[in-house]
Amino acid sequence: MKVIIASCVVPFVEGGATFLVEWLGQAIKSRGHAVETLLFPFSANYTEMLDQMMALRLLDLSQHGDRLIAVRTPSYLLQHPHKILWFIHHHRPAYDLWGTRYQDIPNTPEGICYRDAIHQADNIAFSEARKIFSNSRVVAERLKQFNKVDAEVLLPPLGDPERFHCRSMGDYVLYVSRFTHHKRQWLAIEGMRHTKTPVHLVLAGKADPDSAAYVNDLRSQVEKYGLQSRVSIIDRFVSEQEKIDLFADSLAGIYFPLDEDSYGYPTLEAHHSGKPVITTSDSGGTAELILDGVNGFLTAPDPEAIGQAMDRLYLDRAMASAMGNSGRERIAQLNITWDNVLEKLLG
Amino acid sequence: MKIAVLNNCVPYVWGGAEHLAQALTEKLNEYGHEAMLFRMPFRWQPPGKVVESMLACRLMRLPNVDRAIAFKFPAYYIPHEDKRIWLVHQFRQAYDLWGTEFQDLPDTVEGRQIRAAIMRSDNLSLGQAQRLYTNSGVTSARLKKFNGIDSEVLYPPLFESSHFHCVEYGDYIFYPSRVTASKRQHLVVESMKYVTTPVRLVVAGKEEAPADLEKIKRIIRENRLEERVTLIARFITEQEKAELFSRALGCAYIPYDEDSYGYVTLESFHARKPVITCTDSGGTDVVVKDGKTGFVVPPDPKAIAEAIDRFYADRRSTQAMGEAGFELMQTLRISWEHVIECFTR
Repeated sequence: MKVIIASCVVPFVEGGATFLVEWLGQAIKSRGHAVETLLFPFSANYTEMLDQMMALRLLDLSQHGDRLIAVRTPSYLLQHPHKILWFIHHHRPAYDLWGTRYQDIPNTPEGICYRDAIHQADNIAFSEARKIFSNSRVVAERLKQFNKVDAEVLLPPLGDPERFHCRSMGDYVLYVSRFTHHKRQWLAIEGMRHTKTPVHLVLAGKADPDSAAYVNDLRSQVEKYGLQSRVSIIDRFVSEQEKIDLFADSLAGIYFPLDEDSYGYPTLEAHHSGKPVITTSDSGGTAELILDGVNGFLTAPDPEAIGQAMDRLYLDRAMASAMGNSGRERIAQLNITWDNVLEKLLG
Repeated sequence: MKIAVLNNCVPYVWGGAEHLAQALTEKLNEYGHEAMLFRMPFRWQPPGKVVESMLACRLMRLPNVDRAIAFKFPAYYIPHEDKRIWLVHQFRQAYDLWGTEFQDLPDTVEGRQIRAAIMRSDNLSLGQAQRLYTNSGVTSARLKKFNGIDSEVLYPPLFESSHFHCVEYGDYIFYPSRVTASKRQHLVVESMKYVTTPVRLVVAGKEEAPADLEKIKRIIRENRLEERVTLIARFITEQEKAELFSRALGCAYIPYDEDSYGYVTLESFHARKPVITCTDSGGTDVVVKDGKTGFVVPPDPKAIAEAIDRFYADRRSTQAMGEAGFELMQTLRISWEHVIECFTR
């Protein structure tokens, strides 16, 4: 089969979608299909969005490939007779973030026109799709709420999960993620204040282009609490191998984003390494994967509760290890595999 | 520096320009820049689609990018204030192919309007680029003739050259290339009837159509050239190619009327082997200088045979010409160092 994968990216900004597209291409190729991956540069500035959406609409791929799999908004505006969407999120400021401080389109007659145009274009593209999959339950619900379309949840696996492994249940909890405020690395540091054991915390990842000040604040926070000997901040690009090694000797994974749609790759990485995950009840999609007390802890977003979860894992390594194994089973139970993804997308 | 490399794209089709864009992206990253390649799907039939593709590129945006480097039509229409262009070719149907059997665009009111729109947009976009390079003198000359725009030739280097080397000046001429009528392998094979020295020929490459291969086999059979000509009728790896170059006496590359010099000539010079080409081969004359870096002969088997014999008879001169070929690449600045310099300074 000939498959075209299309997605939109802000150049040089990596996110979960970047990996999903890359890994999807590899997975399809490895099963002997021909894959052409097309990335389109995209500016999320609302004044430029309609032009760019029009551009995508004018690009006609109808003569190429047996199907088009469109990933990130608004790549699905491309024209193709057999269009499948693996939808990962709306332009949220025009949807669920409208009316919040993240709304980036002004609430003026003009702004409302922009918002409505985005909605209408999306609706047209959705009506053209043969099938819509979403990467999480939250996103499927949003599609239903705002666009009245049904989407099937298709959970995204890691690119190469076999590389992750467990070497030891060490003495540090590990938070691997890019540094940006809504990932709430600061909440993990707050949690460390309340620990009673000598558990350590490792924060690793690249800082977002505009997050240098945020990382400085984290460092001051660590100093203020006198946690320098127990908290390490590795704010640079962390290679895949480094990440695998860090997870292999960790005690648990941590993932505290504020209200994200999906469970995020760090949770899968921890589980494939045989480690439990500590997350919070307001993190969003992590609740789709993490069952409190089974494969990790789903605590209140409260430093004291977080500190307690860290201590419990530190004090009972056997329990931590058992929960890590439950994490592996949970992934199998939810069928988060490329075999499943390809059966759905190419079926 | 964050650099977006832009090209057009016909899904599943990869030619010279596609590889060049990919290579430039990789080299920019290797030289410490951040580079990403974006490819715009291009459709030109029915002809109205050309205009839609042009408009689509014009409507695209490049946020978070310091510089754009664009290759083919219509990708160079994507707006950016610091845009440099490395033009491989324009939409030739509107230019030098207009009025030929390859015109493609209909000679109707609509077709002529589309052609005029392409020319106007090219004049605007190409004229506004911060720097404008082409890949060959032919492309530059066309740009001057049809658009009145000046450009500088920037020769594309081999993607990777370090594996090419010289072990010896052996007893065979090497012709690696896709086996197809326009590459004219059959002329060299036929010339082997006329050589007077014990020189041999190795032709390597996958055939484009069965008939291309059949023709060569027939010439070998009918002239009993089995002992003299080795035919490797398949895709050969880079390593095999480098190995065969390293022990060759010299190289033959005699395509019909190509725009550029072709990578085969560069590979040969990196292995310090001189090249035989023909007077009607086109762009090869940029690097193959008669009597200096090889021989430029008429497309005639006897003339080719004579050149081959001269390689064999005077090894000292053959070696000197091979080394002169290598030197000429330096003089013409055919290197990634130079390319990167042009696009990042």
